[in-house]
Amino acid sequence: MPPDTLRERITDYANRADPYPLYAELHENGVTRQNDGSYLVGTYHEIAALLHDPRISSDSRHRTDPETVPRIRREGQSMAFIGLDDPEHDRLRRITMRPFGPPHTPHRIDALRADITRICDELLDGLRDKDRIDIVEEFAYPLPVTVICRLLGVPQADVPRIHAWANDIIASLDVTPGRIGEHQLNAGVEAREAMAEYLGDLSDRRRTAPSDDMLSALVHDSGPDGPLTRSELMANATLLLIAGHETTVNLITNGTLTFLRHPDAYRQLRDEPELMPRAVEELLRYEPPVHLLPQRTPVTDVEVCDVTIPQGAPLILVLAAGNRDPLRFDHPDRFDPAREDNQHLGFGSGIHSCFGAPLARVETQIALNALLPHLEHFQLAEDPPPYRRSPILRGPRHLPITRTSGT
Amino acid sequence: MQIVVDLNRCQAYAQCVFLAPEVFELHGEETLMFMPTVPDDQQERARRAAAACPVQAILTGEQAGPGEW
Repeated sequence: MPPDTLRERITDYANRADPYPLYAELHENGVTRQNDGSYLVGTYHEIAALLHDPRISSDSRHRTDPETVPRIRREGQSMAFIGLDDPEHDRLRRITMRPFGPPHTPHRIDALRADITRICDELLDGLRDKDRIDIVEEFAYPLPVTVICRLLGVPQADVPRIHAWANDIIASLDVTPGRIGEHQLNAGVEAREAMAEYLGDLSDRRRTAPSDDMLSALVHDSGPDGPLTRSELMANATLLLIAGHETTVNLITNGTLTFLRHPDAYRQLRDEPELMPRAVEELLRYEPPVHLLPQRTPVTDVEVCDVTIPQGAPLILVLAAGNRDPLRFDHPDRFDPAREDNQHLGFGSGIHSCFGAPLARVETQIALNALLPHLEHFQLAEDPPPYRRSPILRGPRHLPITRTSGT
Repeated sequence: MQIVVDLNRCQAYAQCVFLAPEVFELHGEETLMFMPTVPDDQQERARRAAAACPVQAILTGEQAGPGEW
C-alpha cells in the first residue's frame, strides 16, 4: 500500500485493534509525507531527537493551516502547558508541579499508595462473585478517575458530572478534523469550558476553605514564579483532570489484556509481584496508552532522514511505532516483562514528557498486582476486544472477561 | 542494598524522587542527591525508582563500590 496513505490507514477504525503492521511500514518508509500534507515519523531515534529539538513546537499557532488542529477552546481563554513552548510552557508546568512533586512536594504521590491500594481492593471486592466482568468499566476506569479527583480535590458526589464532560471532550479529539461532526467538536469545546468553570469555582471555594488537595495548594502556595491566574489554573487543572481520566485506564486495561494473552508472563508476575515495576515499563513500550502525538509543528524547515519537513506542516510522532522499532529494541514485538534495555517512549521524552507519569506508574503497579490473583479462573470473552474510537488515546472500550470454572 | 546513579546520564526527570522520596532528593530543579546505602524499609521503593528511570541511570545491587574485587 502507498506510504502516503499511512495516516489514513492508522486513523481507520478497522485497524485499531492491531495497528502494528502499519507501524512496521512506517519503520520501512522513514519519514513519510501524507496525502493530506502532514508528515509521519515512526522510527525511535528520529522521534527521540525531534522530542528534544527546540525547532519543533507544541503550539498549534505555528501551523500554516490552523484547520489541521482540532479546535478545543474559544479565543481569549488560557492555554494549558501541553500546547505551549518554553519559556511559557516551563513557567506553567513549574508552578503546576509545585503541589504535585519534587522538589517542592516530593511525598504527594508516595503518600497516595495506601489510598490507591484501598480503592483497588474495594473495586475488586465488588467483583468477587461475578462470572463476567468488564475490566474497563468496573476496574481500570474507576480507579484512576477516583484517584485524580481525590488528588485535585473534586468531591466524590461531583465525579459523574466530571465523567460526562470527559467523555464529550475525548470524543472530540480525533486525529483528523473533518472525520467527526461539527456538533461533536462543539460538544467537546462546551464540555471543556464547563469542566474549567467547575474547577475555577472549586478553586475559589478552596481559597476560603483550604483542604489538603492540589487545588488548595495551587491557590495558596505560590512560589518564585507567582501563582497561576484564575484562567491559567482553569486550563491547566482541566488538562490534569482529563489526562487522569483517559490515559491510565488504557495502561491498566492494556496490561490486563496483555497478561491474559501471555499466560507464562501472567503466572510469573502473579507469583512474583516485585517484578511488576519492570513489567509496567514493558507495557509502556509494548502497548502504550498514547499511540501518537499529533500536535507538533516545525517552526522552520527541518530535515529528518533526508526529508525536509516544511515550516508550519503538521508533524505527527508515532510513539507506539518508535517503541517497536527493530533498530532500537531487540525482538520489539515480543512482550518481555523483564526487558533490560527499555528506554521506551511510552511517556514521551523531553520537556513535554508526561507530567503524570509517576502517578500512572504507581496506580498501574498497584492495580495489576492487586488484579492478577483474581484473574486465575478468567479468560477473555472476546479477542480482540472492542476498541475506543481514538487512534491517539488507543485502548479497549470494554474488556469483557468470563469465568472458566466454578471456583 | 547499594545504589549508584550515573549523573552524566541523569536528566532530572525526577521519577526516582516521586517513587522513593526518602532515598532520592532534588536540590533545586536539577541537582539529584541520593543515599548510596538504602535502608531496609526503602529497598522496594528504590527498586521501583530504578525501574522507572527514563534514562536508566540508576544501578542497584546488594554490593557496590570498592572492596568487591
